[in-house]
Amino acid sequence: MISNLKQLKDRTLAKIFSKNPRLFRGWAKHSTFMRFTNIPWTPLKRNIRNSRLALITTGGVRLTSQPSFDMLDPNGDPTFREIPSTISINDLIITHNYYDHSDADKDINIVFPVERVQDLKTAGDISDVNHRHFSFMGHILGKHIHTLMNDVAPRVARMLKEDCVDIVILTPA
Amino acid sequence: MGLIQRAIEAAGMSTISISLSKEITRSVRPPRAVYPGFPLGHPISFPGQTVRQLSTLRLLLKYLEEMNMPGTIIELDLNKSSEQK
Repeated sequence: MISNLKQLKDRTLAKIFSKNPRLFRGWAKHSTFMRFTNIPWTPLKRNIRNSRLALITTGGVRLTSQPSFDMLDPNGDPTFREIPSTISINDLIITHNYYDHSDADKDINIVFPVERVQDLKTAGDISDVNHRHFSFMGHILGKHIHTLMNDVAPRVARMLKEDCVDIVILTPA
Repeated sequence: MGLIQRAIEAAGMSTISISLSKEITRSVRPPRAVYPGFPLGHPISFPGQTVRQLSTLRLLLKYLEEMNMPGTIIELDLNKSSEQK
């Protein structure tokens, strides 16, 4: 019962923020986020046309065969899902109660442009699409922030590095 | 998402992200970000608008190539652009 109420509250808030950008901006202005002074920087190693690209989304995208993200933990779910880049979009689903994904349910490319990056390769804008992309559920709070920063994100970075990925596009939701 | 982007960049790959909140992006300070002006839940644009989706991605690649100042946030107003379906 309590879990149902939580999910209903989260989905209702997501719809309110989606329909009222000013409310969302007000919430963001008065909220506290991680604050950094330094900025990591890696210059492009080669021309974009000769680069291998991977996608990362925090839109809660997963394969229908993969476990759902945890929607009951109020601090979110810091785990990730590996998504094969040649997957049919019919095999993808979104689990995320913190934004209104009704439009993304119609066309997942608006949060996770898995088909469009293949179009970029076909058109010659990039040299290659990595064989896998990665997906997170981007509502991470409390103790999970430490897990994400110090364990999960560096692990995904190592996997992309092993794949010889040059460039990464990240999409929130 | 900026936390993940920072880890990827620190590992030696060049990254660029979509920002849906300038406030959050200014705080987390990812290396490169583009604020397209699209509503929440629509970082790349709208369902079925494949040309517009591709245009958004090409803009990201263009800025990825051009940006040379860490922490840059490019602010655009693509939501008011004419439909390019």
